[in-house]
Amino acid sequence: MFNGFSHSVMGASHEKTGLVCQDNSSFKVCDNYAVAVVADGHGSKKHFRSHLGSKYAVESTIEAIDRYYENTEDFEENFPKNYKMILRNIEKQIISNWNKKVEKHLEENPVTDEEKSKFTEEEFEKIPPESYYGSTLIAAVTSKKFTFGVQIGDGSLVALFEDGKAVMPMEYNESAPANVTASICNSNAAGMFSSFFTDKKKLIALFASTDGLYTSFGSEYDFLDYHTIITSQLTNIEAFKQIIVNNLTKRSHFGTEDDISLSCVFNQEILDSSIDIIKNAVEDNKKRAADRRAELLTKQVDI
Amino acid sequence: MSNEMITDAAKEAMDGFEPAESANEKKQMDNMLDFDDDPLSATGVSRKSLVIFFLIDTSGSMKGKKMGELNTVMEELIPEIRKVGEADTEVKVAVLTFSTDVKWMYSTPIPIEDFEWARLRANGVTSMGAAFKELNLRMSRNSFLNSPSLSFAPVIFLMTDGYPSDDYKEGLKELQANSWYKFGLKAALGIGNEANDDVLAEFTGSADTVVHAYSGGQLAQMIKIIAVTSSQIGSKSMTLSDDSGREIGEEDVFAAKQKLLGQQIQELVGSKVEANDVPFDTGW
Repeated sequence: MFNGFSHSVMGASHEKTGLVCQDNSSFKVCDNYAVAVVADGHGSKKHFRSHLGSKYAVESTIEAIDRYYENTEDFEENFPKNYKMILRNIEKQIISNWNKKVEKHLEENPVTDEEKSKFTEEEFEKIPPESYYGSTLIAAVTSKKFTFGVQIGDGSLVALFEDGKAVMPMEYNESAPANVTASICNSNAAGMFSSFFTDKKKLIALFASTDGLYTSFGSEYDFLDYHTIITSQLTNIEAFKQIIVNNLTKRSHFGTEDDISLSCVFNQEILDSSIDIIKNAVEDNKKRAADRRAELLTKQVDI
Repeated sequence: MSNEMITDAAKEAMDGFEPAESANEKKQMDNMLDFDDDPLSATGVSRKSLVIFFLIDTSGSMKGKKMGELNTVMEELIPEIRKVGEADTEVKVAVLTFSTDVKWMYSTPIPIEDFEWARLRANGVTSMGAAFKELNLRMSRNSFLNSPSLSFAPVIFLMTDGYPSDDYKEGLKELQANSWYKFGLKAALGIGNEANDDVLAEFTGSADTVVHAYSGGQLAQMIKIIAVTSSQIGSKSMTLSDDSGREIGEEDVFAAKQKLLGQQIQELVGSKVEANDVPFDTGW
């Protein structure tokens, strides 16, 4: 019933500077639910283990969702009634799982002299240990009865419901210059999550991506259209996976040069029954893009 | 103007910038990843982008040769700015004219590849404060700065030949609270004797980023120097560390860019003064 894919590509800027890929992504499909998750390690100097932090964020999320679904029947009955509270609990569970993984790793792998050598003693003392592993997180979950998502920090969540329109159900909170992204490592992380829940619409496909994907587009319309195009090809997902990988690599190289992760889960039955709607949406989007471009180039001053 | 006009001192100051990848390397990668039947190619890849805002005084006092020269220079300038963006940055241009009314040349910032200059006419009074307010409204993620690929703080270039006829301080106060303005690269050009450098320095935040043109020849040179230099600096990535490898804040990076712009403008302006030009106030 559910299917999916996920992929992370390394940014050109990280290749140049010798950094490892700071992104991580995964997906999991089961009979009753499917999870798409991505995380973007901050990568700056004080977050020197953030490639591990993003891995732990992805693992922590899937473990948390699995745990809630251990009793599927109860969970699916209670969630719609108390979704705000349950979403908060899921977020807290993810943070708790992540902190345990970070603590364990740090205990088994104390900070090395080489890692410390990049800071003065005073600077190093000021960095909270969990910050070494700082990361964002975007998780998208769908089941037979509802769809929800949680997010901390930059990144995007796109959903296509049965009307064939690509939407971002969580407001994308792109930072202005010099603003710092929210992080799972923040001491008040539990209060920094955004979330959404719906049991009113049937979901076709759900995507989570790190901000390297969003920033490789010139407009938000193009970004949403991109997801509609991918959805139109999901009926033949195995053949299309390599095309997606190539495109993400190209975007990472020619866009903002950041790492890019994209994870997707979809409902195969609803996709099959809605494929004509999606294909029509792809064609409509092309026409609208042409109209927008013509409007863009119209001068407004008297000449 | 081209890169060879950048002095050694300026090159030294730009040591913190990352080198751009060569066009050949990019082309090779493009060929490797491009194929004919990729449906995803319908949505193009956008490079890191930068918006240059031109705020242009079109009041009655600009009538005649000042406006004629400005129109000609701006038409010539567009291909030069295109060169700045060729390597790894998409440059977009937004032009706000102000006289009795304020008006945008296009309804949104236009990629430099598609930008065509609309020749401007001069008429009316100098509503600079209203222009500042309008700029403040548009410099937002919900308006002109809504492109996902926007990676750099904007460049804001003000050109005027006179004293504001409205309460410019009120408009400037609103603008100064805008984060994009705070972190943007700001420069101003006074045209002729009537332009008030103090007002312009209030706008840019520093006297170093204010220059004056007293003749048509100078006007052409100054516009090119400021527009090209500021877009070069504005579109470069600076490392977030100092010489010892210690991390520095993004605010320090923006401050360093503004300082560098002031240094380069003063160096380039100093090397470009021509004595034989006819001043606006006698010749025109």
